[in-house]
Amino acid sequence: MSWRSILLNRFVLVPGAIVVAVVLWNVYVATHNNGIVTGRVVDAAGHPVADATVGLWIFNFTTYEEKERVKTDADGVFRFTNNPSHKIQISAEKPGVGRSQRLPVFLYFRSQDTELAKPLRLAGAG
Amino acid sequence: MQRYPRWPIHLALMLAGFVMLVPFYWVLKTSVSGENIYAYPPSIVPRGAHLFYYVDVWYSIPFARYFLNSVAVSAIAVAGNVVFNAMAGYALSHGFRGKDVVLLLFLSCMMVPFQATIIPAYLITGRLGLLDSWLGLALPQCSTIICIFVFKASFDAVPRSLIDAARIDGLSEWRIIWHIMMPLSKAAIATNVILAFIWSWNNFLWPLIMTRSADMQTLPLGLARFLSYQEDTTGALYAFCIMVLAPGLLLFLLAQKEFIRGLTSGATKG
Repeated sequence: MSWRSILLNRFVLVPGAIVVAVVLWNVYVATHNNGIVTGRVVDAAGHPVADATVGLWIFNFTTYEEKERVKTDADGVFRFTNNPSHKIQISAEKPGVGRSQRLPVFLYFRSQDTELAKPLRLAGAG
Repeated sequence: MQRYPRWPIHLALMLAGFVMLVPFYWVLKTSVSGENIYAYPPSIVPRGAHLFYYVDVWYSIPFARYFLNSVAVSAIAVAGNVVFNAMAGYALSHGFRGKDVVLLLFLSCMMVPFQATIIPAYLITGRLGLLDSWLGLALPQCSTIICIFVFKASFDAVPRSLIDAARIDGLSEWRIIWHIMMPLSKAAIATNVILAFIWSWNNFLWPLIMTRSADMQTLPLGLARFLSYQEDTTGALYAFCIMVLAPGLLLFLLAQKEFIRGLTSGATKG
């Protein structure tokens, strides 16, 4: 039996493909797990909201608990740099402008770097 | 001879196959949608499918550790089954004094359920100092009587003259098994591997009784543990089931040809 027939055997190829996929996935995880979560906060009209308070809530076994708060910059952008979880919620508020609903965010692995696709919209002020 | 159209048979087989696959599809669908199983009307296609329930399972329990335990225990059980069952099957494929009694003993032992022997098995494993270890978890599954008979049927099909020729060439019984019989019994080996793997992989009662530390638990125990402290788990529970089932299904799909051949070898002999 030649090496070629041994290597091109389904009992070798399929587990080999799985091992390669696992290695590649782990390399991807190792290079994208800095815990960075970024996004934008806008008001009801869609304008960026500066100086809004954004909260990061992480899943703790059965409930979500608040982990960290940051402020948005002049473009309404916020950035968390220390997210340890794979299951988080993000909320934003600014007195006089309103508050957003908590936005659930699911990640494929812990501390995955992510950018929210949709902005947090503040509404319901006053 | 009158030939009947084959399509009704194929249609019936396809329908039967479809009915058998529906539960698998349902588990898979719920694992990616989290849909309540009591939802009415049920949706055939998953709505808003995602893989996050699998991520939940991965982080809710030490899945990697349980997976490693299950793999290690199954590997030991598979190796034990192939080696010991081949030896027993080879012995039973030869004539010796008391062979009928041994066969009768084996057949009668098949009627004794494992639950009836679990206490002696536990005591023996404890005396050997193997409680809470991979070897201890695999030990009672290192040989199964059904698989011995699979090897016996396969070895019976090997011409006697081949074994005699090997003896004349000076091969020992041990080398006859490994160099003559085993290469001719690939289907029996595949059957042993699949059956031993699936039985070991799905075993719940023995690991439940003999593991003491959480680190030595296997996947079926992990599933029970997962259920005990998760409440809203429909999606995650089904995702866990898929993760537990996947290795066994993969192994079966890889070796199904040999598996079927191994189970039917000897069935058509006169």
